Amino acid sequence: MAEEGFNAFKMAQKQFDRIADKLDLDEGTRKILRKPIREYHFNIPVKMDDGSTQVFEAFRIQHNDARGPCKGGIRFHPQETVDTVRALAMWMTWKTAVANIPLGGGKGGVICDPHDLSDREQERICRGYVREIYDELGPDKDIPAPDVMTTAQHMLWMMDEYEKINGSKNPGVITGKPVDMGGSLGRTEATGYGVIYVLREVLKEMDLDINEMTASVQGFGNVAQHAVELFIEYGGTVVSVSCWDQEDSCAYSYFREDGIDLEELRGITDRFGSIDKKKAKEKGYTRRSGEDWIKDDVDILIPAALENAITEDNVEDIKDSVRLIISGANGPITPEADEMLEEMDIVVIPDFLANAGGVTCSYFEQVQSNQNYYWPKEEVLGKLDNMMTDAFYEVWELAKRKNIRVRDAAYMISIDRVAEACKKRGWV
Amino acid sequence: MDDDVNVENRIEKEIEDKITPRKELDELQERVKELNCIYGISEIVNDYNLSLGEALQEIVELLPPSWQYEDIACARIKLNGEEYKTDDFRETEWKQQSIIEVGGELKGSLEVCYLEEKPEMDEGPFLIEERRLLNTVSDLLGRFVEERRVKKQISDEKQDWEVIIDLLMRTDPKTLLRMTRKMVYYLYRHENEQISMLLNDVCPIEPDSDTPKWCGINMPNPKQDLESLKEIQRGVFQIAKDSLEPEEISELFHRWLKEDKARPLLLASQRKGIPLVEITDELNRFFDKADANTALAPEDKMAIRTALIQRFFTDRLEFINIAKNYIQLDDFVSLLKRLIGPAQGAGKVGGKTSGAYLAYKILQREKDRHTDLKDIKFPKSWYLTSDSMLDLIHYNDLDEVIHIKYLDPDRIRQEQPFLEQIMKNAVFTSEIVEGFKKILRDIDDNPIIVRSSSLLEDNFGAAFSGKYKSLFLSNKGSEEERLNALMEAVAEVYASTFGPDPIEYRREKGMLDFSEEMGILIQEVVGKRVGPYYVPAYAGVAFSKNEFRWSPRINRDDGIIRLVPGLGTRAVDRVGNDYPILVSPKRPELRVNTLVEERIKYSPRYMDVINLETGAIETVDAIEIYKEYGEKFPFLNKIVSVYEDGELRKPKSFLFDPEEEDMIVTFDKLFEETDFLLLMCKIMDILESKIETPVDVEFAHDGDNLYILQCRPQSQTQQIKRKPIPMDIKNKDKLFSSKKFVTTGHLENIEYIVYVSPEGYASLDSERKMRKVAEIVGELNNYLPEKRFILMGPGRWGSRGDITLGVPVKYRDINNTSLIVEIAKEKGGYLPELSFGTHFFQDLVEADIKYLPLYPDESGNIFNEELLYRSENRLTEILPGQEDFEEVIRLVRVSDISSGGSLDVVMDGEANEALAYLRSPDHWEWRMNKVETMADELDPDIYGIKGLYIVGSTKEGTACSRSDIDLIVHYTGEQEKKEKLENWFYEWDKKLVEENKNRTGIEVDKILDIHFITDEDIKENTSWASHINSRYRSAREIPLDGSDS
Repeated sequence: MAEEGFNAFKMAQKQFDRIADKLDLDEGTRKILRKPIREYHFNIPVKMDDGSTQVFEAFRIQHNDARGPCKGGIRFHPQETVDTVRALAMWMTWKTAVANIPLGGGKGGVICDPHDLSDREQERICRGYVREIYDELGPDKDIPAPDVMTTAQHMLWMMDEYEKINGSKNPGVITGKPVDMGGSLGRTEATGYGVIYVLREVLKEMDLDINEMTASVQGFGNVAQHAVELFIEYGGTVVSVSCWDQEDSCAYSYFREDGIDLEELRGITDRFGSIDKKKAKEKGYTRRSGEDWIKDDVDILIPAALENAITEDNVEDIKDSVRLIISGANGPITPEADEMLEEMDIVVIPDFLANAGGVTCSYFEQVQSNQNYYWPKEEVLGKLDNMMTDAFYEVWELAKRKNIRVRDAAYMISIDRVAEACKKRGWV
Repeated sequence: MDDDVNVENRIEKEIEDKITPRKELDELQERVKELNCIYGISEIVNDYNLSLGEALQEIVELLPPSWQYEDIACARIKLNGEEYKTDDFRETEWKQQSIIEVGGELKGSLEVCYLEEKPEMDEGPFLIEERRLLNTVSDLLGRFVEERRVKKQISDEKQDWEVIIDLLMRTDPKTLLRMTRKMVYYLYRHENEQISMLLNDVCPIEPDSDTPKWCGINMPNPKQDLESLKEIQRGVFQIAKDSLEPEEISELFHRWLKEDKARPLLLASQRKGIPLVEITDELNRFFDKADANTALAPEDKMAIRTALIQRFFTDRLEFINIAKNYIQLDDFVSLLKRLIGPAQGAGKVGGKTSGAYLAYKILQREKDRHTDLKDIKFPKSWYLTSDSMLDLIHYNDLDEVIHIKYLDPDRIRQEQPFLEQIMKNAVFTSEIVEGFKKILRDIDDNPIIVRSSSLLEDNFGAAFSGKYKSLFLSNKGSEEERLNALMEAVAEVYASTFGPDPIEYRREKGMLDFSEEMGILIQEVVGKRVGPYYVPAYAGVAFSKNEFRWSPRINRDDGIIRLVPGLGTRAVDRVGNDYPILVSPKRPELRVNTLVEERIKYSPRYMDVINLETGAIETVDAIEIYKEYGEKFPFLNKIVSVYEDGELRKPKSFLFDPEEEDMIVTFDKLFEETDFLLLMCKIMDILESKIETPVDVEFAHDGDNLYILQCRPQSQTQQIKRKPIPMDIKNKDKLFSSKKFVTTGHLENIEYIVYVSPEGYASLDSERKMRKVAEIVGELNNYLPEKRFILMGPGRWGSRGDITLGVPVKYRDINNTSLIVEIAKEKGGYLPELSFGTHFFQDLVEADIKYLPLYPDESGNIFNEELLYRSENRLTEILPGQEDFEEVIRLVRVSDISSGGSLDVVMDGEANEALAYLRSPDHWEWRMNKVETMADELDPDIYGIKGLYIVGSTKEGTACSRSDIDLIVHYTGEQEKKEKLENWFYEWDKKLVEENKNRTGIEVDKILDIHFITDEDIKENTSWASHINSRYRSAREIPLDGSDS
């Protein structure tokens, strides 16, 4: 919930200012980067099913496109504000930059509540959205994707409208499409695998043998399952995963000393990652409270479920054995907890680096769509591995060289890349 | 009325009924036989295609049926040496004979014999009427032969109707009189002048006056003597003959004679409480006749219909008024074939059956106009009359159970299980058992449901929905096993009449003393066999008014459907761990849940089925069954969607592979690709408009057809006027606010809050303790002031199944509350489910208990929980000994947390917003301010005022929302000024009343109470003046503008 007076954009600007100070950015660059480069505010008139007309307020914010076309989702939300969209657009710029993909940052939103709209009406909103800013979208300008309360279906409507107006096929205008409609293979794996590609390299750097590593994972959804999959493939051991239990409406963590068997657990898990309690017990897993994942005697913690999983309240539960925390989820560590982790000498790989596999795969989708040539999954994942590994090393090197936190290094690298691009283009 | 007296009265009445009117009816039957005979003969003699011989043979065949013992009667005509006789004719000693004379000569005879001995009557075994008929016929035969002989047609001389009149004059003067009356009406309706004059003649005329006298409305008309009546009769028919065509009269006569045949039925139907067996006989007898349907005058038809509706369905005029247009006479014949009850009883079928049957008839009728309704079906049904229950009770000497309702509720609760066993062990009378056997033969071995159909149900606007039991029977096993199961089920449903919950409900509705009689509706269960299971594809309940709109774009008139896979039990009951699909039939595209993840989370997972092998109702995992039986499961691809790649897709018809695919129950295909919703809209529209009230319809689909199972008026709150959310409430005074699923309502002056802490409840470690919480809530419900407290607690109140999700209260535990708040804390782990449409919710609507789900974790919603912890818990003060539960249940006295104020809750359904806030006791202040304003505006000189004083509650600072403002006005005593002043106060009072209503919602007649006193009064110290003088009862003077003091 947004607190009274909380402004996501101000918060994002503050974060930027802090890094900009460290980078000693000049005033002009700061001015460009503190605000979106372009904003579109427009109204979408929609003929409703009952014949009436409603007008929906919509935005597309292009924060920065110095490094390439803008990239970012379109949200449908009744309490949408332009400042939220601005903040999210800015974060997209940093995210694409840290992953070092040739894209900028953008975000869009429509103030509407899909709960009150029929599918047909939502389709009209999507098409109306494209009609209003058709000129500003495109594979070489700005590429939307699904986001809060929008799905692949919404994206296909938008793509179709764009192509109709354009009179040609341009699947690269949108990402997040189903595989048979110009989507990319490997998308399901991308985020989870990306986390582990990075992890693999961190361990190398820390001189740790992945075969001897144990990990505890929070979550058992898509990201967590794929992270666990690759981690085990690399020889690691996962002793605990946690999940939300639909029936009891609370989280549990399932523990097995000698490591979980992923396939076995997947077999007793529903589509949202709820593990069957009874069957898990039969298979020798200990069911514990949801918070217990953090207390395990392991080397690595992988929060891959919720925001604010590690807070100042539970950070002290972390055992001395833990060397590394790598974030699969968005914002799993509160700033206060982050500070304390530093004191505890635990390496933290921040979310926007560790889970950049998702946005990287979107980029691949776009590339494939533009080429109208689609790669096999292995190729997608291979390329992803390369990109993630490279991205990680740039950050890691800087952190080591300057002896700063990985999080700060990641921010600095990304902001510096964008600032450089602006300079090279002669904007400042 | 006391039940005993009731029963005694009934028995007496039954005996009475049995003795007297039976005879009349028999006589009437005989009359009809005669008429048939005469009518038949008059037709034959007018048929010139028949030879004389043929005609006589036909006439002789007509005779035996007109005799009392028609089965053993035979007849013979001897004429001119020829014989015409019935096949079985045999001359016996029980014979009646009459001679036939043609042209004055004896030419033959007419004989009727009985083949067996019968009791002695008027003439041997024969009746006097039969003698009369025999003579009339032989007389007629004589003339007929004569006329044929001279080759002269009868009609040349006399019309056939004249023949009938002649016959009637001799045999049946009463019938003739009715014919006369009908002719008079007929002529009168055709504005025949002569008949008007004739009628004038009937009016009394003073012998010595020429002018017709006032046929007084308020004076009894003088009676005409018999002879003059006959004269009038002759006059009437003469006029008819003069003014109408012979064919017309003839046709009229034939029609009327036919209509007259229905008289026994008409009379029987009018008899109050006619025993089942008699009315059944009467109906069957009437409909055995070939021309039964055309034989009735429309007005008679209507009279019989309404009487029968009243006899079998209900005395409620609203129902009769509608039902008489849809339920036809022959419907009763088929209804009675499926009606079981004590033969001598006068029971009805009960509310549920009435509703279902009326809906059935209405829709049947509408099928002609709406072809899309043609595939709608109704399950095979049987009915048990309401008196069958008393019959069982009396037969087994269980009369004391009737009085159980007057016991203390706790005792009722204790005795219930025992009573149920007693009832189940009771023995039905053999006639009822025979009836049950008939049902079982009729139904083969399909599962059945035994539903209660109480007389109170659906009456008085009180839907006894779900109060009484409905039981499924798998109906498997030997005939005896099936019979026993059926009887036990019926007895169990009977026993539920005496359960604590329905009795409490009746007590509250003031219906306790009303003798409850329970009809039973036995229906074949709609479904298909799938593996060992018997199950409908889907079932549910539809409401024509939507009282629970999840989107502002849905209207109340759009209706709502609650749909589940399998048996409908899960749609009408509130189940703890599962969700039905809710859909607005007119706006299906506006879903309750939009996002894929939500849609999956809130989709039905389980279904209720009848397991034919175990005979039990089981709850099974729907998807597992679908996977196991695949497309053998009826309608499967209309029920589920496929989850794939994060999207829900409708299954492709050809490529659909249930075994492999990830199925979710959504009914998407049913909604989008079939006419199901359109059909339901239509059904509800039709029923609502015909029955003239919003309806609630239960239905099921077996994969081939949609079946309508039940229909009853939808319980509903009266339209409540919207009140906007007050904007000026300080944050610290807000207890909670909500912006989701808000219905309209407004509560004020709430004194107590019963708060079940979600955390506390979740920490209870045993089911027993959770049930104890429900019990404590129940006790508080009895103790706290009615409608002056609200309940707040986690999850789903009153849920069946997993009680960890909500306090398992029953209706009686919460019936005094004014609001139920369901708290859905995300972290606390309770998923809110809309309770709308379940019986529990229906109860809330019925009892005018408001309902509000609260989502404290969602943005924009407030739940100021600390307020509830600001004061001490008063639980143990009221219920000592419940210390163990103080952590879980908090009883908060609102005045403790609002320094003497109260709690108001404003719910604005239109804006989808609700706010509960503490209101400090400000009534005094408001009143004082008003008095001061008045004083400012009041010019003492114009009105002659010397002083203004305030006394009473406003002065004492104790005024509440309804208090007066007592003012003493010291005035000069001039009448003219006083009137002006009174007017001025009157206008003010109107303003104050209005304003007070707006701010408190309380309407009072007047607020200002003005007492005038003069100098005189003060001097004499009269009562009001004493306030000014007294040091103790001191009044406070209000300074007036412009006054010197």
